Amino acid sequence: MKVSDSISAVPATTIRMGQSTIAHARFSPDRGDLIARAAFARLGVVALAVAMGCVFALGLWFATAVLLMKDTPSSVPVGPHLALLSNFLPGYSVSWSGSLLGAFYAFMIGCGFGAIVAAVWNVAHHIYFVIATARRSFAGDV
Amino acid sequence: MDGAPLNRAELQLLKVAVRMNMIVMAIAFGLLGGTILWLSTVILLVRGGQVVGPHLSLLSVFLPGYSVTWSGAWIGLAWGVALGALSGAILYWSYASTLRERLTGRLLDVRDAASELSPPTVLISGNALGVALGLLLAVQLFFTTNWLVVRGTGESSTNAALLGHYLPGYTVSFFGSVLGAIGVFVLAFVFSHVLAWIYNFIARNSTR
Repeated sequence: MKVSDSISAVPATTIRMGQSTIAHARFSPDRGDLIARAAFARLGVVALAVAMGCVFALGLWFATAVLLMKDTPSSVPVGPHLALLSNFLPGYSVSWSGSLLGAFYAFMIGCGFGAIVAAVWNVAHHIYFVIATARRSFAGDV
Repeated sequence: MDGAPLNRAELQLLKVAVRMNMIVMAIAFGLLGGTILWLSTVILLVRGGQVVGPHLSLLSVFLPGYSVTWSGAWIGLAWGVALGALSGAILYWSYASTLRERLTGRLLDVRDAASELSPPTVLISGNALGVALGLLLAVQLFFTTNWLVVRGTGESSTNAALLGHYLPGYTVSFFGSVLGAIGVFVLAFVFSHVLAWIYNFIARNSTR
């Protein structure tokens, strides 16, 4: 069973709504409408980008800080394996200043990932909604 | 939304919506997974050196055919897409399953947003995401660790053992993998709550 087929299970008012209308409906929808809306609800691109950026930044800062807070003899290099991230993040090192620079890089990377996930989500839903609506229109139900 | 249980048609609609979203998440995570591994390999290749990417090439233990070479980068891309897509689909399925009873609560947010003439936006449940992501990472760590044990290379896997810095009690052994799985679950749960809180805060404020 496809979503477009299942949509027939909800009131036709939902289907008649255009993409813009679904986002700005004024009427009080019933439960079927709400489920259909939730199925096509959007992810906040900026919100997910910033949230993932913050989590990535916190993660790398935490990973670096944990190694720095361990008692390591001064003659032994701290975190030589984590320091290999400098291959990808120029200037990064397992030091307090490096942890801040790493957090900045991680924030940017996290932002990119979050934006991509949200964008793919929103575009895919938009395409699916358009196809589902078109199929119903061609079938003469709307 | 009222508290009455969903009827058959509504449940069916919910089911196909979850399936559709699983596919979308699989596409998104597959793209990311493939790109990350391909790009990481290519960066090391472009940088060059006498020995290129000795640590990254250890992934070949888990990803047959992968190596830090140009052909290996494409094999890594395929592995990244496949594993990323699988992880994305499982993550969303697990998230939706955990949220099942509270999914109607999430729909309330949609109704509120609609009544305020703003686009319906998904809100993230920190608990559901924490459980889904925590379980996914815990299972992955458990199986990858025990794969090293089964291969008989557990003792010599010094790089994997470094995870013990972050996961108390973790070692490359069966018992260590269980402790590591618990540790990674807790970490993922905490980070998921941070992510959900920040996301929901920005999403709510941006739709006002």
